[in-house]
Amino acid sequence: MESTESPPPLPATPESILKILYRVDGDPDRRPVHTVGISATGFFKASEVAPLYCRAAHFQPHRGGHPVTVRFSNGSGCKDPHDSWSDVRGMATRFTLPAANPAEKTYTDLIAMTLPEFFSSTPDDFQEFAWAARPADYVAERPWRKFLDMLKLMMPLRNPYPNETISPDLGAMNFAERNDAAKPGVLEAASIGAPTCYLRAAYHAVHTFIVTNEQGVQRPVRFSWQPVMGVRNLDSNTSNPKPANGDFYLQDQLRQSLITSIGKDHPRFTLMMTLGEAGDALNDPSRAWPPHRTRILMGTLSIEEIVNDPEEWEKISFNPGLLTDGIAMSDDKVLKFRVETYKLSSKQRNASPCPFSGATIHDTQG
Amino acid sequence: MDMAKLNDDEIGNVQGNILRGYTLPAVRHMILRISDSAAARAFLAASVTGGNPNVPQITTEQRIGAKLPKLVTAFNLGFTYQGLVALGLAPGDLASFPTEFIEGMTRRAAKLSDFGDSDPSNWPSPYDQPDHVHVIATAYASDDTTLDSIQKQVEQAFDLRGIHKGYSLPNGAVYFGYKDGLSQPRFLGFHDGAPSRQDPTRTEEPDDPLGTILLGKPTRLPDLKFGTPQPKQLGNLGTFNAFRVLKQDCFGFEDFLTSTAERLRQQGVDTRLVGVESVGLTYPDLKDKPDLALREVIAAQLCGRWREGTPMQLQETLRKATTAGPSNQFDYGDGALCPVGAHIRRNNPRGGEVVQRIANFTRRLVRRGMSYGDTLDLANPDDKERGLLGNFIGASLGAQFEAVMCDWLNLGLHSPEITGSNDPLLGANTPETSWFDLNLWKDDDQVAMEKHRIYGLPRFVTTRGGAYTFLPSLSGIQYLSGLTG
Amino acid sequence: MTPKASWLDSFVDGLPTRGWFQFLSRHVVVPYWVWRDPKPKLPGGPRPSPQPGENLQRMMNLVMPLKDPSPMGRAKAALIVAQNVDEIFAGLDNVGTVHNARFLLLGNNLCMLSVYDGDFSNYIRDFIATIGSVFDAIMDQVEGGEEVSPTEQKIERFIDWVQAHDLFQVPDFPSDLFALQDQAMRRTGKAHGLRSLPREYILQLHANPDVSLGGGYRAYPGVSAAQIRKNHGMGW
Repeated sequence: MESTESPPPLPATPESILKILYRVDGDPDRRPVHTVGISATGFFKASEVAPLYCRAAHFQPHRGGHPVTVRFSNGSGCKDPHDSWSDVRGMATRFTLPAANPAEKTYTDLIAMTLPEFFSSTPDDFQEFAWAARPADYVAERPWRKFLDMLKLMMPLRNPYPNETISPDLGAMNFAERNDAAKPGVLEAASIGAPTCYLRAAYHAVHTFIVTNEQGVQRPVRFSWQPVMGVRNLDSNTSNPKPANGDFYLQDQLRQSLITSIGKDHPRFTLMMTLGEAGDALNDPSRAWPPHRTRILMGTLSIEEIVNDPEEWEKISFNPGLLTDGIAMSDDKVLKFRVETYKLSSKQRNASPCPFSGATIHDTQG
Repeated sequence: MDMAKLNDDEIGNVQGNILRGYTLPAVRHMILRISDSAAARAFLAASVTGGNPNVPQITTEQRIGAKLPKLVTAFNLGFTYQGLVALGLAPGDLASFPTEFIEGMTRRAAKLSDFGDSDPSNWPSPYDQPDHVHVIATAYASDDTTLDSIQKQVEQAFDLRGIHKGYSLPNGAVYFGYKDGLSQPRFLGFHDGAPSRQDPTRTEEPDDPLGTILLGKPTRLPDLKFGTPQPKQLGNLGTFNAFRVLKQDCFGFEDFLTSTAERLRQQGVDTRLVGVESVGLTYPDLKDKPDLALREVIAAQLCGRWREGTPMQLQETLRKATTAGPSNQFDYGDGALCPVGAHIRRNNPRGGEVVQRIANFTRRLVRRGMSYGDTLDLANPDDKERGLLGNFIGASLGAQFEAVMCDWLNLGLHSPEITGSNDPLLGANTPETSWFDLNLWKDDDQVAMEKHRIYGLPRFVTTRGGAYTFLPSLSGIQYLSGLTG
Repeated sequence: MTPKASWLDSFVDGLPTRGWFQFLSRHVVVPYWVWRDPKPKLPGGPRPSPQPGENLQRMMNLVMPLKDPSPMGRAKAALIVAQNVDEIFAGLDNVGTVHNARFLLLGNNLCMLSVYDGDFSNYIRDFIATIGSVFDAIMDQVEGGEEVSPTEQKIERFIDWVQAHDLFQVPDFPSDLFALQDQAMRRTGKAHGLRSLPREYILQLHANPDVSLGGGYRAYPGVSAAQIRKNHGMGW
């Protein structure tokens, strides 16, 4: 993709970002990123301390737990699955909130990914990043250049995966050279690898949310899912990982794990909530919080089975702004921008408006 | 010679404003760079000996009770590490200074919670070039004209990088309306003799050994000695100063009192339980204004003193709020009325229990401060900068100023009840995460106390500049004046 | 199309595992870069930070080289520590901010590892104020110990010495190393390609071979020793 195009003007808009994000090997009728995915159902049980921090309905004890639907995905916008490629993975969780009248179901979403931080702290920076990192022809680094890298004590570029022709990696690396905020995300993304199973990765919601408890006390927090089975990646020592079932194994692996656990020990994730502190980058998703902040165990998610109608569920739109009383957005500009971008993306690909139609996208609480 | 005491020679060798504060009402801090070291050294020599009509003479300490004419002006000097370098102090001697002084205030920013708006990268001139801050000359007088003429003299020998004009506010108050400077250490071997009942320095705290404030003298921890910089003539009887330009958000503070009072009412807190009806005892004009009275209660709890000076700790009950006056004769014993996190208790826990048991009374500081900025009219908010020109003086910046700043003022490490919170008035608070526990009576019997946590305290005080300086004795300044090279 | 990897590609990809290339890297390439772009040994201990979480449960990994690392010298150090356990424990109780502390003989070093709350200088100063002379006996066993002994008389120097012998804590986020090294070298505004991060690590670990990797895991972060004692009814 030798490009003579010039970058779209700033400020970034949902339209301009979506335009950049769609890849030539993507599908305009599907998501621009996290294109390949699969959904499963399960339930979430709030921990006994969760209500002390958040009055939201899904953090209250509930017999049998709160029903959830979870979509696991590959981060790439390529429409074909490349499960064994090093890539960010996503975990979007929709909690069904208890309602007096079951016909009036309401929901709240928590959108997470395997990167602990985002690539930029503002929508404009993100647009510049996305532009710089739009997939470009990817060819193997010449042996002599690699040799030179080794003499410079630098990481050589990775070899392309089989059938890989375009990649965002080089553009992202170049962008990060000039932008310190992008460094942690790009570095992590470059070395993130591929999980052996969607159930064997930790997922982070990246943005700060404001939780409010029954007494009205508000706290800035960040959420992460930790797999109880532990985090496990494909062996990274071999440069071209070859899982038993080739480049498309994550969905089968998930099905398999759920079948073998039926009625027994469901695969679980714990939801950890980290409390922000004075001096923390509350509104900057490009900066993860160190592991020394107070972490609260908010509950446990059990995954039971693949949804009945996986095709239909691929049409459902999640949104990081689909919140409920007790949890609100922070002043994170990227988060607010994502809310609008997800909405537009949903519209553009004619995604199922349900259950969105009735739901409110909550903004920061007054 | 009794090391624990000061003899007359020593007293006359110590710069003024260290062991006792001046009472002159106006101050001028002159931030200086040494561009001509010969001129600077000649100035130092003349400032020590006096008698030069073009150089102000250094003011020294006097024996308490000595019959001397009242001071009409005072003049003192402090040197940064870069200043000592510029004067030509030998490398070996420079290296004998403590690390925190060598690094300077800007490189200690994280320890002092100077981040965000307070980050040294946001400090205006002259503090944007900390390596050019060499000397801080300080003059005190009753009027600006006198200070102007001293400034002119100083400018002859130094490159004037900036000035700060400070004034004492009426009734010994500072912005935020509190009477300030009530509690200061008294020094064994200097302030000797039991203070009379009327003596404002009278306190229940033990007197502090001279090593708290003067290098070369014994400290409270019998075997621990703060290192005296070399050579002895320079280091002995000197001390260190953390000079800070602290901007105060006066309107923000009053707004916070109002909004917190409102929130307490909304939460249905029974205002009798915080002693609102007692406020009228001190503030008769607030007698029938419970809303305003509640604000005063909050202000008192945040500070640990009512704004007119009475320590909360001295109240037998909240109903007897104000009979004690701005006294200093108290300790934090049992059944403390004063919140543990209150400003004065946090920064000087006196004999009260602290986690660092070894540290009781070991982190005492001398504070000399004056306010800067235009007269404040709370009825007419403006965005002018106002604040405090603070001097925090002690023999060890690390063991006193920094120790208080990082473990006590911020963090609150000395009591498990406040650990994780910052000082309500001076701390590096962010509203999203800050909290403070008010003390309330459990019920109308007013016997047992309970806590009521308030949230959302912003940072009321922002650092706008500052420097670590060394305040040598007169012999020390004389030594510097004799350097060559 | 992805071009097929040639034999040369495979050869170069395999270089890092080949003995001769490792030899070349170790004896030529790294020394060249050490000469070309030397990095300062970054200071030991946790870095100051405004967050309470960063200021609680901090690690000290104090590595003190033994003057006499023979079994005789080690035994002497072991006995000095053993004979002074009462003094040390009482001292740590009075310091009040220490979660745990222990001594190790490791390699040719006597190590003191501890987890403490608050400012490092305060911890060391308070510790010395309560057990000073005992620590002097320990300092007699370690290289350079005499320069900072008696510790109570040279407290500032001793604190600096301990910091210099406390292991550097590699940042929790690897790319932060760029900024830390630039800061130490008083460099500003330098752009760093991410692929040069291995070199930054190699050069720092050359200057500073023994380090702590990250700030460590905490099961219950954000609470002080006194808070744990208080909340478990142990008094503080």
